[in-house]
Amino acid sequence: MAHKIKNWFISQSIRHPKQVIIFSILLTVIVGSGVRWVVIDDDIMKMLPEDIPSRVLWDEVQDEFGSIDMMFITFGKRGEFAINREILAALWDVSYALEDLPEIDEVISIATLNRIDSEDGFMMVSDLQPARDLIEKEIQYIANYLERNPSIKTRVISRTGEFTNVVIRPITGVNNNILANRVISVSDKYLTDFEVHFGGQPYITGLLPELIRDDVKMLMPIGLMIMILILLANLRNISAVGMVLSVIFLSGVSMMGFMGWIVHWTGSSRFFFTMVNTSMPIILLTIANSDGVHILTKFLREMRKRKDVKESVNATMNTLMLPIFLTSLTTAAAFSILTTTPIIPMTGYGISISFGIVWAWFLSTTYLPSLIILKKWKTDSKAVTHASFLERVIHRFGRQILQHPRKVLVAGLVIVLIGVFGIFLVKVEINFITFFKPGNPIRESIEFIDKEMTGTLNLVVRTEGNMKNPQTLNDLLAIQKYMETYPEVTTTISIADVVKQMHRVVMDDDPAYEVIPDSAGKVNNLFTLYTMSGDPEDFNALVDYNYRTGVITAMMRTVSTDRIITFVRGVEEYVRENIKGNLNPETTGLLVIMRDFSILLIQSSLTSMIASIFVIFIIAWIFYKSYKWGLLSVIPLTSAIILNFGLMGLFKVHLNHVTAILSSIIIGVGVDFAIHYIAQFRNFSRNGVSKESISREVVDDVGYPILLDAGSNMAFGALIFSTFLPLQYIGGLMVFAMVSCSLGTLTILASLMELLKENLYGE
Amino acid sequence: MRNLITLFLPVFLFSQTGYDIAKLVDERKTPKDMIVDLTMVLTNKKGKTRSSVLHSVSKDGGNKQMIWFLSPKDDKGVAFLKIEHTGKDDEMRLWLPAFKKVRRIASKQKGDSFMGSDLSYEDMTNRELDEYFYKLLGQEEIQNQDCYILESIPKPEVKSTYSRHVTWVTKKDYNIVKEESYDRTGRLFKTKLFKQQNIKNYIVLKEIFVENVIKRHSTLLTFDNIEVDTGIEDSQFQEKYLKRLPK
Repeated sequence: MAHKIKNWFISQSIRHPKQVIIFSILLTVIVGSGVRWVVIDDDIMKMLPEDIPSRVLWDEVQDEFGSIDMMFITFGKRGEFAINREILAALWDVSYALEDLPEIDEVISIATLNRIDSEDGFMMVSDLQPARDLIEKEIQYIANYLERNPSIKTRVISRTGEFTNVVIRPITGVNNNILANRVISVSDKYLTDFEVHFGGQPYITGLLPELIRDDVKMLMPIGLMIMILILLANLRNISAVGMVLSVIFLSGVSMMGFMGWIVHWTGSSRFFFTMVNTSMPIILLTIANSDGVHILTKFLREMRKRKDVKESVNATMNTLMLPIFLTSLTTAAAFSILTTTPIIPMTGYGISISFGIVWAWFLSTTYLPSLIILKKWKTDSKAVTHASFLERVIHRFGRQILQHPRKVLVAGLVIVLIGVFGIFLVKVEINFITFFKPGNPIRESIEFIDKEMTGTLNLVVRTEGNMKNPQTLNDLLAIQKYMETYPEVTTTISIADVVKQMHRVVMDDDPAYEVIPDSAGKVNNLFTLYTMSGDPEDFNALVDYNYRTGVITAMMRTVSTDRIITFVRGVEEYVRENIKGNLNPETTGLLVIMRDFSILLIQSSLTSMIASIFVIFIIAWIFYKSYKWGLLSVIPLTSAIILNFGLMGLFKVHLNHVTAILSSIIIGVGVDFAIHYIAQFRNFSRNGVSKESISREVVDDVGYPILLDAGSNMAFGALIFSTFLPLQYIGGLMVFAMVSCSLGTLTILASLMELLKENLYGE
Repeated sequence: MRNLITLFLPVFLFSQTGYDIAKLVDERKTPKDMIVDLTMVLTNKKGKTRSSVLHSVSKDGGNKQMIWFLSPKDDKGVAFLKIEHTGKDDEMRLWLPAFKKVRRIASKQKGDSFMGSDLSYEDMTNRELDEYFYKLLGQEEIQNQDCYILESIPKPEVKSTYSRHVTWVTKKDYNIVKEESYDRTGRLFKTKLFKQQNIKNYIVLKEIFVENVIKRHSTLLTFDNIEVDTGIEDSQFQEKYLKRLPK
């Protein structure tokens, strides 16, 4: 039955190539027309599963206290004191323009802050900056107030005094991409005369997806060009390269169209094109390239022997139909497993890539042979008559390998063992600033704010208890004091600080009273007094409506993920050992969630990787009717994955949600190489190639397309020129993955099969 | 106490008809003094509430007023004294029992919240007749009563946190049942709903519901145990009486 279907497919391409081409393109156009409904979503928060504990806590805290993660604008003029007429006027304009944005909940700056003064023993709450344009006396009044209140000053004036800070609290659930762009646009309008720096997690996460996509958009054509050149140098025929590229292009169009159709039909945000999906075109490209390269190289070699296009296509497709089907099936199945991950866009990612892979298979087995049939091939062209450079290389290489299979296998296994060791050194790092190379304007801007102001990172510790109880307030201060022992923590703030300040003001501004009052009644009186002059909602970001839950906000300079974990654990431990009350502290912040998200992504990548390997093993077992083939088909990709992660550990390449996707590429490419190798081994063993020469023949036959495929995919090493370090690493690791996958097949698998050929031959 | 009433009794001067109605509203009889227990329930946008019970004694239409906090427990004893003066700053004092101190309260910004509620000091102050332009917008039935819909816009020289008010006044007895107040950008800022009752031939407030539409925060003030024309002396409005909770 399978044989009949195969022959039917082949005969359609040979007999009715035009119709097949028209039909394939028409179908692709229909599927691809869904592209118009593709939704690009740069909201990183939508990637995060809503049920992980840190996200649940984050949502709860934001629901109660407003957005946790702030965006910052720091501006000023070098050599000028920031509290001057010009800066204050600009600060006023920019602060109120920002407050008018629907994405912003609150703007904290000199222009919007309240001052609490003591007037005849009364707590007077008023605007720190009373108007846009101030006279010298008013400016001095502001400066004096900030001098008296250094904890406020550090938040709004830079260390050198030349810059002022605008802290932006977004509304809960805002799309950071829209927020960051709007804030930049307002800043561009009002702060043209100043040196301006931006920072904060909403800023980075808001701009990152767009910047990464732009970078990939710029580097992809470069990679594609290099790929074309490599293919051209080896296939030596422009039409052949064009055919491979057209399969890749049409597969890509159909994959994107598929995503669009699903969004159109279901409205599912799982199929939105997010930052995670940026890697999809590269992955599909490498897989679709593999199908085309195998068919074209095989065809050209068949032409060398047969000198007849139809016969050559027939022979090529007869040999490759099954392995290409099998590689497509296994890879598509492997990617489909991504639907089980808890990361929302990964569902769409897995299904869409699987669809693209199936489409690439469809085009490779119908459209591509039809194109070959239609093309007028010159039987005396170099592409047909002469072996290419890579072909000659693999011929020599194969001999060397197969002369000493045992040594090669042992050497390969030793390298894999080194990889295993390296895996234990892999570090998870999700700090977004490390995505940017030193010297990058965004990184420099953030580092400037880190150095000059109170930092661009903030974590929040939620505590429970009666926030009007002096003991609880003193406990909060003790926790804050502990938090400030971490060098990265620049300052902390809680309702306890406000109570201290109110107490001092009520006691005629006597600094001796800048402590928590000794009774709940006094604390309560202070709050009541505040409502007589200030807005009680001023405390919304510090304490809940009923004073039963409070938050301590720690302003921090950029820190590593490890340091965040240490900090979170340290605070919890400190509270457990030193605080008697049941404050039940819980730490949250975007970075904490991103850490959990990364861990989850990596765990799910690992799980799906193992599941994929298992699925590939089962499929190969079923198709080849022996578990031995199943095992052999997963050996190269398993080795490559181990080596890839091992290399990351050894060379201190951080594992994050971007670099973790590389395992998918390895699986996709690695399984192709192994299955092609195994399929040809079985084919030769059944068609009379002797046991003695079989391995060399197989290496000669499939080694060339494997090397060409790997070599052309290495073109995406162009990503090494990216502005973003993770993309750079992907570029570098891509090259390594191609080397490890191809060599894993042509050394470990080849030598292993050579050693086991007594058992495998004729099976 | 009159402040709490006059807040809802702006004098309307819009064309002849409007002015007549406004005048009638303004000229309604008000008690000489009033003693009342107030329950104030504040509700935030998430539905969380805070309640307090206050005892208020006022005279001369609210020009003189004392308010004591009866609950919650932690606030009990906090007391507020206000004496309005024409031509100079109002006198306001607050007794903080835990500190055993009386603190003077400086003259407030008009838009600031009164005791953490959704009523501002401006809401609590008499609106002067000549400080507004008025316009009759139409008529509507509301709370089963036929009402005039009147718009009042502060004159340019008047400092106000509002750009305009739209008020529903009953045709029958010129009571205000609803008011919408708009901020200076023209956005709906507050919605107020009123219920009145008749005590000794005076129309006095029974309940006020104010919602800050922008902050989605609301205040419900309920008036109980109302006594009018009790003959309170001016001498009762002194700092020393703040320290004593009335029985």
